Amino acid sequence: MDVPVWQRLYEEINDPDFALICVAEDTGGEAVAGPIFDAANPTYVQVIDTDHIISSAFNFVNVPSAAWIDEDGRIVRIDEGTYSKLHEFGEGDEAISFGTDVYSPAVKDWVAKGADSEHVKTASDVTADIRQHTADQQKADAAFRLGNFFRAHGKSDEAERYWQLAQQLNPDSVNFIRQNLTLSEEGSAGETFRTMMAKYVSEGRDYYRPLDID
Amino acid sequence: MAQNFMAYPDLRHPFAETPIHADGSTSVLYQGNTIVLEETGPGDGLLIRPEDLPRINGFELKPEGACYADMCIPLGDDVLIEKEGGNWFDLAAFADLLGQPYVVDTDLNVWSFAEIPAKRDSMMVDAMAPDFEVEDRSGKVIRMADFKGKKALIVTWSSW
Repeated sequence: MDVPVWQRLYEEINDPDFALICVAEDTGGEAVAGPIFDAANPTYVQVIDTDHIISSAFNFVNVPSAAWIDEDGRIVRIDEGTYSKLHEFGEGDEAISFGTDVYSPAVKDWVAKGADSEHVKTASDVTADIRQHTADQQKADAAFRLGNFFRAHGKSDEAERYWQLAQQLNPDSVNFIRQNLTLSEEGSAGETFRTMMAKYVSEGRDYYRPLDID
Repeated sequence: MAQNFMAYPDLRHPFAETPIHADGSTSVLYQGNTIVLEETGPGDGLLIRPEDLPRINGFELKPEGACYADMCIPLGDDVLIEKEGGNWFDLAAFADLLGQPYVVDTDLNVWSFAEIPAKRDSMMVDAMAPDFEVEDRSGKVIRMADFKGKKALIVTWSSW
C-alpha cells in the first residue's frame, strides 16, 4: 500500500543527498514482497529482509516503522507508526481508514531544512524514543532467525517451535506474531490478530507509538 | 479489520524440505549470514577452529584478544581451549563474555546468535544509527555506513 507512495515522495524530494531505504520484513522473500515492489517501479533502495534484521537493529516491533538518519549517522527521529499517507477503504458503515497525511510533508521539511527542521529531535529525545531491547528480546531475534532458517529448509515443526519461542521471549513484537500468522489458515489479519489488537487497546498500550507531528 | 486489503499470496508452505548441512557439520547463523562448519570440537559449548572465527563474525585473534575494528576482548581459557585435536575457540563462551544471547538446536546442530550488544551501545547512548548488513534486491550488500553524508529514511513494511 505504501510502497508506491514512498516512491512518489522519493521522486518529489529528488535530492541526490537523500536516500530512501524501503525494507520488506517478509520471511516469504522475493515471492511475496517482490511483486509489490515491482508494481511501484521504485528507484529507492529495496530490501527484502527475510530475517527482520532491520527491525532488530532499530528495536522496531511493528510495521510500518521508520528511522531518520542524518548525514553524520545520527538518528533524528525513530519508531512511530509510519504511514506515507491516509489510506481509506470502503464506504458508509464499511468505511475504514488508517495512516496519516502529515508524515510525508514532515520528511520533506527535514530533507529541505536539515537540523533546522522542527521535526528533528535531540539525541536525548531520540534515545528516549528508542525501545529498550532486553536480553530476552535479543534472544527472541536469534530464535526467530533459527525458526526462519528451518522454515527455509522445509522443516515446519522446528520453524514453528522457534517462532513460538521468539514470541514468548518478545511478546511486544507484533512483527513476530503476524509473520507467524501468515502460516495459519486465518492469515495475519484474522481472529487472532483482532484479539491481539483488542488486548493491546484494553491494556492501554499503543499499537504504534503515537505520531507527534501536528 | 477488513480482509480485502490484507490479501497476500497463499504461501503457507512454500519451501520444500532440503538438507541443512552434511552429516557431522554445524550451521551457525550470525549477523544475517549462515556459516557451515565441517569441524567442531567435542563437549559443551560451540568449539570452532580459531581460523574459522573471522568468517563467522569478523573478529581476529591477536595477542591482546579477539579484535574487531577498535574493540579487543581479552580472552581466558574458558574461550581459548586446548583439547585433544588441538586448539579451539568456544564461540558460545565468547558470546557469554559479550552478553550476546543465542539459541541452539542440538538435534540438528544449528546455532543462532543475536547481535553483539557492544556494537549497538552507541545507539542507546547517543542515538548513533546501528551498523547493519543486509542485501538489497540486486544482491548488493547495504550497510548503514554507505549512507554517510546523506540523509536516510529507513522505513519498514510487509506483505502480510
